[in-house]
Amino acid sequence: MTLTKVRLERFTAFEELDLELSSGINVLIGANGTGKTHLMKACYAACEASKTGESFTEKLVHVFLPSRRGHWRLVKRRRGGSQATVEVFRGEQCLSTTFSNRATVPRYTDVRQNRSWEDARIESVYIPVKEMLANAPGFRSLYSNREIHFESVYADILDRAFLPPLRHSSYIFRSLLRELQGALGGRIRVKNEEFFLSSRRGVFEFSLLAEGLRKLGLLWLLIRNGTLIEGSVLFWDEPETNLNPKLCRLLMKVLLELQRNGVQIFLATHDYVILKELDLQMSGGDAVAFHSLHHDNTDGELVCHTSSDYLGIHPNTIADAFSDIYDRVVERSLDGVTS
Amino acid sequence: MRMLQERNLQVSIDGEVDARKFDDARSHGLSHCMKAVDFIIEFPDHYLFLEFKDPRHPDAPKHNRDKFIREFTGGSLDQELQYKCRDSFLYEWASGRADKPVRYFVLVADEALSDAELTVRTDALTRVLPIKVPNSVLWTKPLFQSCVVFNIESWNRSLPQYPLKRA
Repeated sequence: MTLTKVRLERFTAFEELDLELSSGINVLIGANGTGKTHLMKACYAACEASKTGESFTEKLVHVFLPSRRGHWRLVKRRRGGSQATVEVFRGEQCLSTTFSNRATVPRYTDVRQNRSWEDARIESVYIPVKEMLANAPGFRSLYSNREIHFESVYADILDRAFLPPLRHSSYIFRSLLRELQGALGGRIRVKNEEFFLSSRRGVFEFSLLAEGLRKLGLLWLLIRNGTLIEGSVLFWDEPETNLNPKLCRLLMKVLLELQRNGVQIFLATHDYVILKELDLQMSGGDAVAFHSLHHDNTDGELVCHTSSDYLGIHPNTIADAFSDIYDRVVERSLDGVTS
Repeated sequence: MRMLQERNLQVSIDGEVDARKFDDARSHGLSHCMKAVDFIIEFPDHYLFLEFKDPRHPDAPKHNRDKFIREFTGGSLDQELQYKCRDSFLYEWASGRADKPVRYFVLVADEALSDAELTVRTDALTRVLPIKVPNSVLWTKPLFQSCVVFNIESWNRSLPQYPLKRA
């Protein structure tokens, strides 16, 4: 079973948030600073805690990397004492942590309710905005041996990308790999911790490859090595970054197909094309939830409105930006007509 | 107040302007060889060419609606819209009336069209009409000044003094 709900109290930017999750694709939209990445990172930390046995709080610290690695810095800022609670649900199971904002009280309470959270490992992968594969050689050993200021997601994504391919994969996944190969113009190879695109035009190291193609290459690797299989969870922060909008059609096609085959997906996006491609390509059986994070008009706290279809997204900051552009295009063209 | 009506779409034009139906087959007389916009409205300093498209007309079969929207958002109708504007201008020029710059407004009565899609189609139509004339082109007479693609909601938002509705 995939993640079903997340509840945050006084955690980072959130005062209180109770969010039901789709078992398929969860699209997080909202202006900068509305907590999209934080929400995904909290869920990712819970998935990781199911595999490593690491405490949820420690995993949150590794994923968020607050100053001095102090979990107390993840409590929403306010005067006086306060404490944060993060709860992630998988049906009846819940992984929870509560901790104070006082550095002098460096204790936290991790709770695994009902059955142990680790009884069913959750395979997950977090793709950060910054592409890492081009910087892979030596990074993992550097990260494991030295104190460098990188969130764990950067080392984790390389761990996933370096996994060897599955011996057997399903017909559906093989056809997705072929489609991605078509866009890439070849296949990804790994040699001495370095990633290459092997194509008819030659062999290209990732540092010479367009960032958008590196992203597709990463997705190809994650499907090929079985990181993205039924029951796994994909978190992708701004997949549109450095990707030509024309490739969004293929990207959304692949993600919808992964969702149909049991992969739960979280996308944080600012991109109209991503949203519209989902709207155009999703069909009746697809489970897609659009979560619009925004500041409430009355108290200014972060709240979320969820819709199962594109037209129901409210507020839609991405469409609003286009409306503003359109209105100004019209205004320029109307000069003199309205007088 | 003038009421312009194209099938069941109505727009009210206020003020001292001359507005006429342009694509009437009998009065136009050249519909076999020239395309025509639906209406021409004369303002003191420009002409407004108006073209109405109504894929959501109650009598329109659903498959026709879907086909139209697919073609429209895909850009296949840009050429037809371009020819309507150009041919109408030529007709007016030959009639001795094209003495002011022309603005071209296309109304597509489908509220499912987002502002992003309207912006894209407005830009595409602007590109295929000679609106942005390079400095090296030494034209001395005005031609097309601007064009905009609207739906009903964006029309009424931008032009509240010319309310548009379904009859």
